[in-house]
Amino acid sequence: MNVIETTGLGKRYGKEWALRDCTLTIPEGRLAALVGPNGSGKSTLMNMAVGLSVPTEGSAAVLGVKPVGSRAALDGIAFVAQDSPVYRNLSVGDMLHLTRNLNRRFDDAAARARIADLGLPLKKKAGKLSGGQQSQLALTLALARRPRLLILDEPLASLDPLARQDFMTTVMTAMTDDGVSVLLSSHALAELERVADYLVVLSRGKLAVAGETDDLLASHRVLTGPAEAADSYAQRLSVIQDKRAGAQAHLLVAASGPADRVEPGWEAHPVGLEELVLAYLRAPGGAPAAAPSPALVSHIQPTEAAR
Amino acid sequence: MSVLTMPAQPGHDTDAVLRPLPWRRMAWVTWRLHRGTLISVLAVLGAAAVFLVIAGLKIHHNYATLIACKPFSSAACQNLNSDFNNTDWTAGNTVAILMNLTPALLGAFVGAPLLARELETGSYRYAWTQGFGRVRPAVARLVLVAATITVLAWAFSQVFDWFFQPFLPQEEMTVLTATVFDTHGIAFAAWTLAGVSIGAFAGMLVRRIIPAMAITLGVYLVLALAAWDLRKYYPVAVVSSSQNINIGPSNRNSSWILGGWFTGPGGKPLSQATADKLVALTYGRYHKAFPHGYTEWTRYIPVSKFWPMQLIEAGWLLLLSAALIAATVWLVRRRAA
Amino acid sequence: MTIDKGISPIEFRLDPSSGVPTYLQLVQQVEHALRLGYLKPGDQLPKVRDVVASLTINPNTVLKAYKELETKGLTAGRPGQGTFIQAALTQVALPELGGLRRSMLDWLASADAAGLDESGVGALFTSVLRDFYKDHGRAADGGAAAGGETEGVA
Repeated sequence: MNVIETTGLGKRYGKEWALRDCTLTIPEGRLAALVGPNGSGKSTLMNMAVGLSVPTEGSAAVLGVKPVGSRAALDGIAFVAQDSPVYRNLSVGDMLHLTRNLNRRFDDAAARARIADLGLPLKKKAGKLSGGQQSQLALTLALARRPRLLILDEPLASLDPLARQDFMTTVMTAMTDDGVSVLLSSHALAELERVADYLVVLSRGKLAVAGETDDLLASHRVLTGPAEAADSYAQRLSVIQDKRAGAQAHLLVAASGPADRVEPGWEAHPVGLEELVLAYLRAPGGAPAAAPSPALVSHIQPTEAAR
Repeated sequence: MSVLTMPAQPGHDTDAVLRPLPWRRMAWVTWRLHRGTLISVLAVLGAAAVFLVIAGLKIHHNYATLIACKPFSSAACQNLNSDFNNTDWTAGNTVAILMNLTPALLGAFVGAPLLARELETGSYRYAWTQGFGRVRPAVARLVLVAATITVLAWAFSQVFDWFFQPFLPQEEMTVLTATVFDTHGIAFAAWTLAGVSIGAFAGMLVRRIIPAMAITLGVYLVLALAAWDLRKYYPVAVVSSSQNINIGPSNRNSSWILGGWFTGPGGKPLSQATADKLVALTYGRYHKAFPHGYTEWTRYIPVSKFWPMQLIEAGWLLLLSAALIAATVWLVRRRAA
Repeated sequence: MTIDKGISPIEFRLDPSSGVPTYLQLVQQVEHALRLGYLKPGDQLPKVRDVVASLTINPNTVLKAYKELETKGLTAGRPGQGTFIQAALTQVALPELGGLRRSMLDWLASADAAGLDESGVGALFTSVLRDFYKDHGRAADGGAAAGGETEGVA
C-alpha cells in the first residue's frame, strides 16, 4: 500500500504556485525525507497531506483514502507541525488528556511511560518546556495515537544535536516497534543518509527527483574524465551536474543500469546522498534531459526546456 | 517504549465502544480550553452583581423614602427628589449604559477569540489534525461556551432588573423604552448570545482576534440600533380609538406610542392641515367630545405586551445566532491553512 | 563506562565518513567479528530494535543487512527469537595462508622495483580487487540488491 499518492498535485496562493505538477508514490514502511530549500513547497505538500489545505489542482490520497482530511485519514495520520505546536498554557498532563479526548485511539499508558522516561513533569506548562522537550512531547502525543503514518515538518530545525539524536531515535524505534511509516521534511542533508530510505527532492515548487534512497544512489554516479571529451559524452547521458576545470570534468549522471559501460578514459565514482540532492537542487529548472528507466528510479521530472 | 505490536489498522479497532463517551470528551475539551474565559466572565459578572446588590439596596431604600415623603411639594421632599435624580440616577444611568454595552463586549472578548485564537497562534495545526477532526470539537466549543455565557448573562440581568426597578417610574421610562427593553427579561441573554455568535463568526472570517473584536462591536451596534426600529413592527401593536379629547390611551408612562391619526365623518382620514386645525381647536378641552364624526386614533404597544415582545426578540436573535454558529462551523470545515 | 549486557556479544558502530553504505558496514562488521572470533556459530546478533536505538538508523537498513547475511548463509533467523550465526566464515588453512603471504611479498617487491609507492600499490590493488569481485563475487552471491557496490571502474 502506498502511504501517499499524489497525481499532478498543485497549490496556488494568489498568483504564486507554491507547488505544481507533483506526482508521487511513497510506499509504506519507509522513512521518506522531503528535502528542498525554503519555499520549495515542502510545507505546502505536507499541509495538503494532512488536510490542512486543499489542492488547487490534482489530487492526493493518503493511506489509500480520498479525500485527504476525511475521518479515516485523520485517524491514521499523526502530524507534528514546525515548532511542535502545543497549547502553551496547558500542562503536560493536560496535553495528554486533551489528545486522548480528541482521538479515537490513544495509548495513554505508553505515553505516560515515555513522558516519565523523558523526565517531563506532568504539571509543567507546555510553553515552559525547552525546545527539545516540546518536540519530544509533541512526538510522544503523536505516536501514542498509534498512527500508520507520521508526518513531521522540520522537526529538527530548532534542536541541538543531542535533542536531535533523541528525537530521531524515538522515531526510528517507533518505526521498528509499530511499523509506522514516516514522512519528514528537513534541511539537514548530512544526517538523512542514515535514516531516510526514500527521498523526495523539491525545488521551487516542482518535484526534482523521488525514489528509494538505495536506488537513487545506485543509479547515479560521478564520471570523471577529460574536459574536451565531456561535451560529446554528455550528449548521450542524463547529466544532472557538470563541473569542469581546464583539463578535468566531473559529470554527475543518472545511469540507466548499474552495469552501464563507462567509456574508456573515464572513471566512475559513487555519489553520496548530500551531493546528489544538492546537484538536483542546483540544476537549473529541474532535472536532466532524459529520464532513466523507471525500474530503478521512481520519478524524475524532465525540465521544461527539455520536453 | 512498547513491545512489538502489529501496526494499528484504522477502522478495525475503532468499533469498540469509546470510553469515555464522545460528548463527555468534547465537554472536557471545551472546559479545558476555555476555562480561563469562562471563569473570567463569571468573576467579572459576579463582582458586578455584588456591586449591584449593595448599591441597589441603597437605591431601593432611597426611593422608598422618597415616595413616602408627604407632602410632595414641600421643600424637604423636593430636595429628596433632586438628590435621587442627581446621585442615584447618575449611578443608575451609568450602570444602564454599561449594561447596554455588555453583550457587545462579551461578544468581542468571548466570541472573537473563541476559534480565532487557534488560527492566530498556529495551534490549529495541532487541533485540526487530531482523529476526531475539526468540526465536532468546534461545534462543541461554540455551543457550550455560547450557552454558558448566555446563562450567566441571564442571571446577571435578573440582578440588574431588580437594581434598576425604581428608576422606571421615577425617570418616566417603561420596560418598553429602547435601552431598557434590551436589558430586561430574556432580551439581555438573547443579545449576549447574538454578540458571542457574531464574534465567533467574525473571528473565523478574518482569523485575527483584534480586527474580529472591532468588527463584532461594529456589527453589534448596527444590529442593536436596527432592532430599536424593528420593534415597532412586532405584531403586538394595538389600535384604539377615542371620541373624546385626551392626551392618549391610558397613561403615557405605560405605553409606547407608535403613531396617531384622525378620521372625519364617514371614516375618512384627515389631511395633515385639517388635523392640525382640529388639534388647535380642541386644545386644552380634555375629555370633551370631538365634533361629531371626528375620531382620534392611536397605535401603540401597551406595557402588557412586554413578554410577547421579549419572546419575539429572543426568537429572532436565537435564529440569527444559530445561523451564525452554523456559518462559523462551515468556515471551520472549509477553511484551508 | 557503560557495559550493555545485551543478548549479543557484539555491538555495531558506524563510520559516517567511510563512504560505505550503512547496511554494508553492518554486514562487514559481522563478517569481521566472525573472522576475529568475537562471534561464533550459535551467537545471537543484536536485536534490530537495539541496533536502531543505539545507532539511530532506519530499521529497514538493519533488516537489509541481516537479510544479506542470511543470503550469504552466515546467519539464520529464528522466528520470535532473533538472528543467529549459523556458519563460520570459510577459513583458509594456515599453510595456505603462509603461501599466499609469500606470493604477495614477491609481487610487492616487483611493484616496488617498478617504482610504485605505497599509495600507488594501494590504488592498484583496490581497483583490481573490485574488478575481480565484480565478475566473480557478485555472480556467486546472486540476488543482491542494486544498492551498495555501485563502483564501476574504468
